[in-house]
Amino acid sequence: MKRRTFLAATTAAIAAPAIVNAQGTTTVRWWYHFDNPQHSPAELIAKFEAANPGIKIQAESIPWGGGNDYYTRLYAALVANNAPDCAMVKLANMSRLLEMRALEPLDQQIGGWADASDISANLWNLHKAPDGKRYYVPLQYVVLYLYYRVDLFQQAGVAAPKTFDEFLKAAQATTKGDVFGFGMRGGAGGHDHWGSFVLGGGATFEKGGMVTPKALEANRWFVALGRDHKVFPPSAPNDGFRQIVDNFKAGRTAMTIHHVGSANEMVDALGDKVSAVPVPRAADGKGWTSFGDESNAIFASSRNKAAAFRWISWLSTNESNVEFNKFTGQLTVSNKGAANWTLHPKRFVDASAQSLAIADTLPNVPATADFLRTVWPTNMQRALLGQIQPDDMMRAIERHYHG
Amino acid sequence: MVSSRLTPYYFLAPAILATAAIVLYPVASTLWMSFHDFVLYRPFDVPFTGLRNYERLLADEAFWISLWNSFVWVGLAVGLQFALGMTAALILNESFAFRSLARALVVVPWALPSVIIGLMFTWVYDYNLGLLNDILLRFGFIKSPVAWLADPDIALYAVIVALVWQGFPFFAVIILAGLQAIPGDLHEAAEIDGATRLQRFRHVVWPGLKGVILTALLLRTIWVANSLDVILVMTGGGPGYATHTLPLYAFLRAYSGMEFGYGSALAVVLTLFLISVAAFYVRRTMREAFR
Repeated sequence: MKRRTFLAATTAAIAAPAIVNAQGTTTVRWWYHFDNPQHSPAELIAKFEAANPGIKIQAESIPWGGGNDYYTRLYAALVANNAPDCAMVKLANMSRLLEMRALEPLDQQIGGWADASDISANLWNLHKAPDGKRYYVPLQYVVLYLYYRVDLFQQAGVAAPKTFDEFLKAAQATTKGDVFGFGMRGGAGGHDHWGSFVLGGGATFEKGGMVTPKALEANRWFVALGRDHKVFPPSAPNDGFRQIVDNFKAGRTAMTIHHVGSANEMVDALGDKVSAVPVPRAADGKGWTSFGDESNAIFASSRNKAAAFRWISWLSTNESNVEFNKFTGQLTVSNKGAANWTLHPKRFVDASAQSLAIADTLPNVPATADFLRTVWPTNMQRALLGQIQPDDMMRAIERHYHG
Repeated sequence: MVSSRLTPYYFLAPAILATAAIVLYPVASTLWMSFHDFVLYRPFDVPFTGLRNYERLLADEAFWISLWNSFVWVGLAVGLQFALGMTAALILNESFAFRSLARALVVVPWALPSVIIGLMFTWVYDYNLGLLNDILLRFGFIKSPVAWLADPDIALYAVIVALVWQGFPFFAVIILAGLQAIPGDLHEAAEIDGATRLQRFRHVVWPGLKGVILTALLLRTIWVANSLDVILVMTGGGPGYATHTLPLYAFLRAYSGMEFGYGSALAVVLTLFLISVAAFYVRRTMREAFR
């Protein structure tokens, strides 16, 4: 181990590029990813550089690939001592990055940043690391809510559901012929759908939390929606983002779960026929919905930490943060920016805000990334297809987190 | 004298060094990782675990499913690509109107990137909006749509069809080239001797094509056994483990679980299977070289 550490340190010392040039300009390398590769942060960077003449931003667009491509490249770059100074990161990967000793604590810089108070205390709390320190600066967020087809609900004579029971009734009432009540996402990324009903129904990621009677019952109920009540399309085990959105737009499903990032596309296709409410809650009033985050972090290996912080804090500040979110279609972290928000129809922003009360993230531990990519989709699909029992699925998740 | 004997090696040295850097080193590195508990996000803790990764895969249900699927995947994909390619080549070797256009068009699937083919077929197979279900429903072949990629009994075969469509032009082009290399006088002589169409194929065409076909089959087997892009795009290995093949499983363990040690052990097992195919190819090539 010592030999590896020594080699890594030596390589870093030799390979570290000349970061401050003769004119005293500091170059900050920043990795980012946008869903739409045609979007470019060039204008934002030009604005920042004009306001900060001593800093040059070298922005590198990294393919997202469902998160896999991006993080594999990031981990490899960190191991090879060729990491950028800062990068866009998600909470699910914080533990892995901490285990790699890759992150720089930012409490001191955040303490000295005047606009930090423009980001809500709730958001700062959600972004705290398990050790209580702050390594991430929030950049944008989304909260998942329930989309429903107003026209199909009116035809079926049901109202937007507030509880699990109402959800089941609405799904059954709207399932007719080739229309299914709920467009469930069984492929990668679909854990949000499952979480709303199973984590909302009482399962937790604490030791033993997936196999309590309440947790097992919640999962049985969810699997039965597809297997017994047949309110999911048969393609659900393999459906991804594109399928759930297109099926909903085409009127093949009456409900689905996603966030404000798809709101404009939905409204373009459906106008007033689409609306949204927070995901339903369990009979005991508890609920869970996924908090989708995106932040910036600075890496411990960076030799330009001060300049990097200037850049990432500027990106999270009022107008620049609103500009940034135009590229991603998500919500601003700036309270001032949110006050004049015009990027999405109000009903979807309201549904997001109302959902914040039950919004949470998955455990900030290394096992979560693999849970999202393989453990959840594989076991969910097998349970929906009857290859394993719903309880086997929960035992597999429990084993994944707690051995 | 000594220097002249060494001259060929001086010329070969750059190629050997490049091969060592881009092939031998990664292979050795994969072997090294397969004997360690190497998790990418734990770079400071890489304990030697001996054969534990290999013991683990023997007890891993997903490994056995992936292994069986790999045999089905290679057998069916290569077999069907060959059958379709051979048929296409024999047709394209005949004279008919617009033959040149047909020869050009047949290459199109081969020229398309795998990701495009994966996405294209994902939408062809789509349960709600797909072309295939629409056609089958309109003509009354099915009463309700089929979830081609979500049904574990069908998904692997549905993906194989996409790969067959992509890969058959390879065989068609190679076999067509082989057919055109057979001298015309042999056909004429056989015809004068009264050979039937089938006899001409058996005694003139087949001996001329045998070598080309064997080489194409071996190469394609290695490529298909290693390929995972189309599966990754179309199903990601699902539903469940229904479309997991060995390279895909190794990829998922390495790049999703970041378990490079276990992923490497899976890759080593796949390599051992492929070495037997490669050895056959090398032996054949050497035999021809020394003939």
